[in-house]
Amino acid sequence: MSMMQQTKARGRSSGLTRAFSSVGEFFAGTAEAFRKGDIWTRLSALVCGAGFMARGQIVKGILKTLVEALVIYLIPSFIVPNLSKFGTLGTVVAQKSFDPVTRKNVWNDYDNSFLILLFSVMSLVLIIVAVVLWMKNMRAAYQVQRTQERGKHVNSFRDDLDDLLGKRFHITLLSLPTLGVVLLIIIPLIVMILIAFTNYDHDHLPPNALFTWVGLKNFRNLFNMSPESSFGYSFAKVLSWTLVWAVMATFTCFILGILMAMFINNRNTMGKRFWRTCFMVTMAVPQFVSLLLVRNFFANQGIVNTLCKNIGLTDWLFNIGAIPTANYIPFLTNPAWARPMILLINIWVGIPYQMLIATGILMNIPADLTEAARIDGANAWQSFWHITMPYIMFVMGPSLVNSVVGNINNFNVIYLLSHDVYVTQNQLMANANASEVDLLITWLFGLTQDRQNYKMASVIGILVFVVCAIITLVAFNRMIKGDKEESFQ
Amino acid sequence: MKKTLALVLVLMMAMTSVAFAEDISLRVWVGDNNDEEWINGVIENFKAAYPDNNYTIEVGIVSEGDCSKNVLSDPEAAADVFTFADDQFNSLYNAGALQEVVIDPETIIEANADGAVAAATGTDGNLYAYPATADNGYFMFYSKEYFTEEDVQSLDKMLEVAAAAGKKVGFPLSNGWYIYSFFKGAGLDMHINEDGVTNTCNWNATDTEITGVQVVEALLAIAQNPGFINADSDPFVAGVKDGSIIAGVSGTWNANVAQEAWGDNYAAVKLPTFTVGDKQVQMSSFAGYKLVGVNPHSEFVGDAMDFAAFMTNEESQLSRFELRSQGPANKAAAASEAVQAAPAIAALASQAAYATVQRVADPYWTPAATLGEIIANNNPDGTDLQTMLDNTVAGITAAALQ
Repeated sequence: MSMMQQTKARGRSSGLTRAFSSVGEFFAGTAEAFRKGDIWTRLSALVCGAGFMARGQIVKGILKTLVEALVIYLIPSFIVPNLSKFGTLGTVVAQKSFDPVTRKNVWNDYDNSFLILLFSVMSLVLIIVAVVLWMKNMRAAYQVQRTQERGKHVNSFRDDLDDLLGKRFHITLLSLPTLGVVLLIIIPLIVMILIAFTNYDHDHLPPNALFTWVGLKNFRNLFNMSPESSFGYSFAKVLSWTLVWAVMATFTCFILGILMAMFINNRNTMGKRFWRTCFMVTMAVPQFVSLLLVRNFFANQGIVNTLCKNIGLTDWLFNIGAIPTANYIPFLTNPAWARPMILLINIWVGIPYQMLIATGILMNIPADLTEAARIDGANAWQSFWHITMPYIMFVMGPSLVNSVVGNINNFNVIYLLSHDVYVTQNQLMANANASEVDLLITWLFGLTQDRQNYKMASVIGILVFVVCAIITLVAFNRMIKGDKEESFQ
Repeated sequence: MKKTLALVLVLMMAMTSVAFAEDISLRVWVGDNNDEEWINGVIENFKAAYPDNNYTIEVGIVSEGDCSKNVLSDPEAAADVFTFADDQFNSLYNAGALQEVVIDPETIIEANADGAVAAATGTDGNLYAYPATADNGYFMFYSKEYFTEEDVQSLDKMLEVAAAAGKKVGFPLSNGWYIYSFFKGAGLDMHINEDGVTNTCNWNATDTEITGVQVVEALLAIAQNPGFINADSDPFVAGVKDGSIIAGVSGTWNANVAQEAWGDNYAAVKLPTFTVGDKQVQMSSFAGYKLVGVNPHSEFVGDAMDFAAFMTNEESQLSRFELRSQGPANKAAAASEAVQAAPAIAALASQAAYATVQRVADPYWTPAATLGEIIANNNPDGTDLQTMLDNTVAGITAAALQ
């Protein structure tokens, strides 16, 4: 372990200790408020606004009490009814009868497993937030008490409002985004993860049926190797293609993008702007439009096939045994052809973007570096390999890792090029609704969209996250740590 | 001033109470943008037929092939009345997303063809949907320029003629819906179980009169015939337009394309026979219907049923045929002269004798498509045919959705 890594490790552990100690302090502070607080401060534990109202902060006290009342109101009306069913996710199956007089359906008071799951998670988050706020409130009440005891100025409501625009402006700014993150990201994420542990699928679709917890059964399914349900087999296949695809797609676009940029930036190239504009134009067309067009070009009865047929290429390929039928070249319908084709098409779509970024970086390489190299007698290859590439890697390393992760989840290219066109010839994969060109993400999409198999989709989603997290962590730690800055020169 | 205010208040109250009394809003999903003219006409007639109620009927476009996906993603938010292809009846029925027809089901059963009614009947024997069209099956299109009426009786003859002309007969081999026709024709069986989520399938049988392996061998021979091309809907359309495909199996949705391309030579007929071993076997098919379902979660479920019944009655089915060339399921409408004169619909009617109602659970589709794709590619891995069929059957009969 090098010196620097040791320091890092120490820094990390101290960070963890700090986190723990600040939580400890938080609890201690609350306890202290209880011990040392006067009657009003202690009363704040029951009526949250008491401490503030006693010191003349009437509006603040009322607002805090109102929030408390809301939480207390939610306990019997929202939290308890949902959390009490959290263990089973509901037991009352929906039933209806048609009332011929009112001509309406009369439904029983049925349970909706999905809403129970969602509302339970919301309840749990609410409880945690409420407890933290309550503890903070105790500390704040004690603080106000101390301020008054010391004879200092106690903020009026107007002062508080001014503070929110002044020294506590960050709270004003960040409260809405934080609420958004909790409501729109954290809660749905927890729900999605929990679905992996239920039997939420086509046969258990709320609201007309219930679903319930099944523990780790779905994860075990991933390792099921029988032909009846070859999820394990398909998962291994799909995962390996996903990784191959991600690496190949990223590096082909990256290398070729840089080369293109260098060709265009070369001193001898004529009409640089023209070439650059040409590539920009391909970026201006929405990706899905160009992909669907390309898919039609390369379809079994598409333009390219007609052309190949007419010039005799198809027959020649058939005669040497490269294609199974003499009617067409299976560009996008045969695994041996479709995978390279999809990679090629991806290069075509991806290069302009990489080229643009590389152009910017190339223009920024200090001219003195290359000049010095030339004077020292370096040839073009050497200066590319020892100056240009390290510089580009230094700048683009992090985005490269991003691209790999992005390509793992590159839904558009794969889905648009293969959906409705590609039929797998692998029977075991077919039995799990997968195909050779599927990425984890498109497989997942098919499972949810075509088969309503939400539970397995959730399991795959979790595994996609694990794969991406591992790649990101390893790559960032090994390849492009912050201390590379000095080593570049 | 006070008087005007009072007047305004009274007026407002009156208006809200009137609006409250008979305000019924329904949402209807139809399959295609081109259906709009037809459905708007139906809505007009419906409003005229029920003048007492104040209907607001909103039309949405959801493809009949994707309807179940859209309904099942949130059954409570789906439209009150929706149109779907009968292959989705099962998943909708199992998910409880179809309202049983409790208002006057006898009339609907009476008025529509038996097959269509069977396609709309649940495993409990009750009617759960309204038959709308009976044209969603497949049959053989051909150009009279190349084929005589005798030629089209046998697939072997058709392939021979096409090969001699340097043209193709199209068939969507990599598609479970179509490949069924060969196996069923050869007497092998595949149907859904009582549980509604798994299938029974004996395509790998070795003790039947015609074995599964024999069917695959026949299919391999067909797929390798120079007059054959594996063509789903899009390639079929492309091939018909550029003249390379002179006959093919498809459905009424491609009737216009074929008619435009072939003009007076356009013809349609029931599916031909094909050779298995030394026997000639008539190809079977899935009968296809479009059905109209009512959402049990609809706020106005009674009115939704009224509307569904209205949009599938004789008059509406006839206007659907006139505006959209879709063959009626209603017996009286189907008997009308205009309908009888349409070649595609006549072909479907003669195929009906060999067609079965489609009752298939989800696990069927992907393995069956893969079987077809392997055959179309002439079994590139050289898999033993019995093993291949065993794998397919394992997939088709797998417990639903592991």
